[in-house]
Amino acid sequence: MPNLTPATLLVLVPLLPLVGAVLTVALGRVLGSRAHLPAVASIAASAAVAVSLLVGLGREVGSGGTGRPVEMVNTLWQWADVADATPAGAAVPQAFSIPIALRLDPLTATLLAIITCVGLLVAIYSIGYMHDDPGYPRFFALVAAFVFSMTMLVAASNFLLVYVFWEAVGACSYLLIGFWFSKPEAARAAKKAFLVNRIGDFGLAVATFLLWITYGTLNFHDTITADGTIVPGILGQVRLADAVGYVGGAVGTAICLLLLLAACGKSAQLPLHVWLPDAMEGPTPASALIHAATMVTAGIYLVARCAPLFVACPEALTVVSIVGATTALVAALIGTVQNDLKRVLAYSTISQLGYMFASLGTGTLLGFTAAIFHLVTHAFFKALLFLGAGSVMHSMGGVIDMRRFGGLRRIMPITAATFLIGSLALAGVAPFAGFFSKDEILAALHGRGWPGAHGEHHEAPASGHASLTVAPGTHLPAASLLLGASRGEGAPASAIRFVSRATASPATAPAAGGLDSPRTWQLLFWMSLVTAGLTAFYTFRAVFMTFTGPTRVPEEAGHHAHESPPVMTLPLVILAAASAVSGWWLFRTQALASFLASTPSLTCPTVADTAVPHAFHLDVALQGTLAAAIGIALAALGHLGRRSDGPQMERYLGPLEPLFANRFYIDQLYAALVVKPLEVVALIAAAFDRHVVDGLVDGIGRLPGVVGTVVRRLQSGLLQRYALAGVMGTLLIVLALAWGLR
Amino acid sequence: MNGFSPASHLLLVLAAPLLGAVVAWVIGSRGAAAVRQSAAVTAGVTLGLAGWLIMRYLASPEAAAGGPFATIDVPWLTGGIFNVRLSLGLDGLSLWMFGLAALLSLTAVLVSWDAIRERAVGFYVLLLVLEAAMLGVFAARDLILFYVFFEFTLVPLFFLIGIWGHEERRKAAVKFFIYTLAGSVLTFLGLLAIVLWNASHTGQVTFDIAGLTAGLARHPLPMDASGGWLQMIVFLALLAGFAVKVPIVPLHTWLPLAHVEAPTGGSVDLAGVLLKIGIYGFLRFSMPMLPDATAVAAPWLFGLGVAGIVYGALVALVQTDLKRLIAYSSVSHMGYVVMGLFALTPLALEGANLQLVNHGLSSAGLFALVGMIYERFHTRNIASLGGIASKAPWLTVLFMLFTFSSIGLPGLNGFVGEFMILAGSFQRAWSGVSAAWQAAYLVMALLAVAGVVLGAWYMLWAVERVFFGASREPPREAAPGHGHGHGHGQGHAAVERCDLKWHEFAALAPLAVFVLWIGLAPATFLAPAAAAIRQSTQASSIAFAARMQEPPAPAHQVVRMP
Repeated sequence: MPNLTPATLLVLVPLLPLVGAVLTVALGRVLGSRAHLPAVASIAASAAVAVSLLVGLGREVGSGGTGRPVEMVNTLWQWADVADATPAGAAVPQAFSIPIALRLDPLTATLLAIITCVGLLVAIYSIGYMHDDPGYPRFFALVAAFVFSMTMLVAASNFLLVYVFWEAVGACSYLLIGFWFSKPEAARAAKKAFLVNRIGDFGLAVATFLLWITYGTLNFHDTITADGTIVPGILGQVRLADAVGYVGGAVGTAICLLLLLAACGKSAQLPLHVWLPDAMEGPTPASALIHAATMVTAGIYLVARCAPLFVACPEALTVVSIVGATTALVAALIGTVQNDLKRVLAYSTISQLGYMFASLGTGTLLGFTAAIFHLVTHAFFKALLFLGAGSVMHSMGGVIDMRRFGGLRRIMPITAATFLIGSLALAGVAPFAGFFSKDEILAALHGRGWPGAHGEHHEAPASGHASLTVAPGTHLPAASLLLGASRGEGAPASAIRFVSRATASPATAPAAGGLDSPRTWQLLFWMSLVTAGLTAFYTFRAVFMTFTGPTRVPEEAGHHAHESPPVMTLPLVILAAASAVSGWWLFRTQALASFLASTPSLTCPTVADTAVPHAFHLDVALQGTLAAAIGIALAALGHLGRRSDGPQMERYLGPLEPLFANRFYIDQLYAALVVKPLEVVALIAAAFDRHVVDGLVDGIGRLPGVVGTVVRRLQSGLLQRYALAGVMGTLLIVLALAWGLR
Repeated sequence: MNGFSPASHLLLVLAAPLLGAVVAWVIGSRGAAAVRQSAAVTAGVTLGLAGWLIMRYLASPEAAAGGPFATIDVPWLTGGIFNVRLSLGLDGLSLWMFGLAALLSLTAVLVSWDAIRERAVGFYVLLLVLEAAMLGVFAARDLILFYVFFEFTLVPLFFLIGIWGHEERRKAAVKFFIYTLAGSVLTFLGLLAIVLWNASHTGQVTFDIAGLTAGLARHPLPMDASGGWLQMIVFLALLAGFAVKVPIVPLHTWLPLAHVEAPTGGSVDLAGVLLKIGIYGFLRFSMPMLPDATAVAAPWLFGLGVAGIVYGALVALVQTDLKRLIAYSSVSHMGYVVMGLFALTPLALEGANLQLVNHGLSSAGLFALVGMIYERFHTRNIASLGGIASKAPWLTVLFMLFTFSSIGLPGLNGFVGEFMILAGSFQRAWSGVSAAWQAAYLVMALLAVAGVVLGAWYMLWAVERVFFGASREPPREAAPGHGHGHGHGQGHAAVERCDLKWHEFAALAPLAVFVLWIGLAPATFLAPAAAAIRQSTQASSIAFAARMQEPPAPAHQVVRMP
């Protein structure tokens, strides 16, 4: 095979699942109970390609030294090209040139491998889980379509393309949540997910518009125009090497906060988290793949990808951490009183994503890599837990209320053992995966709260930050664009400042603002530590309620409560193995962190300069472990070996219990503050339309009522003659024309 | 190319539907089946010819400049100062609308296949006459000819609504006719004023649109007190007709009524093509001929466009009739086009022009599907429908496709236009306008983006209620989920299938193809129109920029938000 260059392979990763989806749609009827074949085979092939790309890129990064930006861009075709999109009167030229361009860099390669591998395991599992569903082909078509959209999302090298697939994964999610569409709750949950996500998409759309107006391009990568000028991409190496810089100030912060809004929608962060628990109405494998392991991490990806933009706006970064840590805590609190196993896991997902945001918000290299590290381990253990919950649900005849079953370890030992491993990983017990990634996150937060405590020192910027050097005098249109943007703002040019490597290395120079002080970060650290304890508690509460105590099975399960078939338990075992060892291995070798450090976005000096030597922070690790131990002990006290429908721990919560059980009344708040008022306004508008606007027209129209009578008379009986006259007349004109043309 | 001149080709495209109408008339005695077949053949042949003509245009040297192609120019009344000519042709501005009219005419015939049983001859004859008129509007290069075709679209549709419509068809037909006629009479007076003004300077009475544009560029209508603000008055006169057609809020109330009462085929043509003539009129006449007045009116019309987006969406949200809901969604979506037009940035203008086609495809598709639902369940009341997805999966898939297109899901066509319009509108806020204008434009653009959320809300809510949930029509108890117990409610209840028939597929499939094609490769569709749009809007853009860079506008001139 001569032409399998990395560029071709990169295209194959999304293309194969797309082909699989199309084949499933086309052949679904014919294949019948084997309708999974195209999807599973194509995702398997895609996973193989993605892993080979990851290995190949890893080798390349390893040979070049850490911190050197590595990227490859493959432009396929020009999607839209309005060469001169400059409005009359604008001082600077703007072009709207959108290529369909895919990129490969360490961040993309990592996520591609995770998406396709978890996608493959989930698809295999679904063969068993969905086997007698009437929508069997539809399910696999949607899963393959999702894998296509998600791989495109992380491989896109252009903000518009990111937006395209940002919505495309949302559409797949919509269709999968509403998979059992005849269930009204499922249909409602699907719509809710799409709409809440649309609010986030609003942020991404406006951010994209502002980015285009500010930077004059939407590409991540640098491009060279026909006449040889370099157009620096937003995350291209010219800009990263600080040749032209990033916009801070009001516009920069607005862009970052809008991006954060988008991330909050997709990754279910406060206050846009309300759709994710409801999304559990979808089939459990879809929950595992989309609503736990991959799609919901798109927000993490977006913020990590845009790291240089955020680092230029320290206030926005702090907001990222505040949102993340608060979400983590609130979701964990809600999770402690849920009785639906899938909802426990859903709130846990929200909470763990909050951790990742808290980590991203530190703005340090450690924070960014730790977030992706946790993303990876979380993908393993949360997919495992969801698939385990699915296995339980499968066996319990669709019942997922933990109070209705118990002691299942005797019935389904493999599920129980793998679920336990996943829970240990989620709770952050050493040496399972979650312990290490959570530890890094806590360390990143700790580093901001107590600067200097870990003996951090800042290395001189490594040489070779940019392989593309800009000669003095090179025409850089974007530089003038930035000035153009400041002019229209109505504020003096000082509102926009270029962040150079000296000014905003967040760890060294805490901004003067009150928000970004060490005290804030200390608070965030303690919140995260408490969350760690709560995580351990609700996780093991679920484990104990489901798998220990006297064995009870709901009547819906009938007589065939059993361990799931091998096609379902095999993915569980593989994911359990990954959840057990991946954290330790990735932490010990630092393979992931040093690999990710070559992602162009993270080689931005303002990020790269915050690098600290790799270390194991014993104090942080001990605090985290202690929190987990307390959580597990409390859960054991209340639930180990007891009947799961017995008295719950929440009776000790007192007045807080209804608050948690009602999910902090956030859904009700939305209904009261957004939905109802809007419906009232809509009703008023409709009444206004009917009675005022149309009434006025009718009033005017009634004056010459005669006209109506005349026209109506025309219609009766004269129709045929009228129409014929029309036809003949027009035909005559045409013939006359033809005559004249002769 | 093989001796068959483009001009004859164009004439053939225009004559084909008329010849087909005569054929349908003649064979009318052989029964409805023969008539509808002949109408389908006519519409199909016309579409083929039109498609071929468009391909010839794209391959021609004229295409690069967006210039006129397949021109026919025949002296008609010449002598003395009169130089009235009949001239036809295509250019970048009319190209896609011409093609859309041909495409949707076939759709209109095919969706009427079973629905129209009584007086089928008259129906199909009128439908074909309407097609000829729609094609003629976009091919006219002469003002009189344009106006004749413009008015002539009204007549067939009036009868289509009035005779084959639903319960309140009489009222709807009369309202539609009088409303649009009243507006277009003013438009005619405005156009006449343009002709006379030009004649008074050149000494020649010409109705040639290109000639008038050039003439008005040399001798613009006065735009000051001494000249009686003539340019503004003429602009408003043209606006009267075009704004009703689009329709721009608050002149929209004829539209929901006309749509709800019209037969499906009429709705398809009305939503898909006829609404676009208003926008086309702005691009063809107002913007190139009356740039100073356009510049003054632009912010206000931009604001009305945004108002239409939000207002139309809100009213759509509480509709109980599915067809009415989609009619209001048209009001909302045409708001984007109006907004993009009067943002007057190149990106927004190109986006608006593309969005004309996009909305034509998605709204025609949705109206066609609503008609199909009505034929099956004899209701359009959202509350009485439900669970159609399990009975008609392909109908559902296509409805979802057009819904996603309509709410601007990326990868489909609607997104492209919407994104370009919105990006161009944001650009307007940063293109040298004063701080007060910037704030106003920013707020309006943000409201328009919020309209995208509302758009998804009412469409998906409707989809949820009509297609999902338990089967509602015919009334049937919901089958509780059993199977292997995943709690899904599909059960094994014998669901009566009533999926799409072949002619319904044939009506919708071409639209679906273009929905995907434009979404994936919009450049193909943007490029041929770009030069022509630039030409016809340049004068207005420059006038607008000049006006905006005057000293900051007094506070009371800031567009107030509705």
